[in-house]
Amino acid sequence: MSKYEVLRTVLSEERFLVEALRELGYSPKVSHEGMSLYGYLGDERPEKAQIVIRRRQLDSASNDIGFARDANGVYHALISEYDRGIGFNDAWLGRVAQAYKERQTMAIAKSKGYRFLGRQVVETPAGKKVQLRFAVR
Amino acid sequence: MCEKTITIEIDEQGNSSIDLHGFHGKGCGDVAEALRGKDTLVVDRKKREYHVPVSESRVVHNSTKG
Repeated sequence: MSKYEVLRTVLSEERFLVEALRELGYSPKVSHEGMSLYGYLGDERPEKAQIVIRRRQLDSASNDIGFARDANGVYHALISEYDRGIGFNDAWLGRVAQAYKERQTMAIAKSKGYRFLGRQVVETPAGKKVQLRFAVR
Repeated sequence: MCEKTITIEIDEQGNSSIDLHGFHGKGCGDVAEALRGKDTLVVDRKKREYHVPVSESRVVHNSTKG
């Protein structure tokens, strides 16, 4: 049985986290009360999370991935050792955070009445950067 | 009159940096603050315009960095 580990994030808004996961191709389930996570054999694990990517959307031997909210409203990622080993690691969480931040920025800019000028993905030695441009009256 | 523009760059760790053009003085900080989500890391670099009084703003080139 692959042990779950808790990875800290700074993400706290459910809407943007769900949208970010969808952007990356997943269909996360959401439950404010929290849902159990299941292992690759269908075994229920003691860990619970409010946002869950079921294992069937991952690798054939994957366990569910969860995002559990702590007392401060910040999400922690619950990812099994196996899944971290096949790529659902810090780099993957970083891409989730990147998509989250993009959604959050677009929402804030819209609420402020900024005019969207365009989006560009820039390749850098440190990886891909998403560049968003806005005009302000 | 130059249009005020905001460029936000988000890296693969979800960190963001904000680049402002055409803003002066406190306006830079206000916009950066507005775009700063409460839960994400932001690299906030103040340009030279931030330190220039509004009355002198027209002599400042928009591409000035700092």
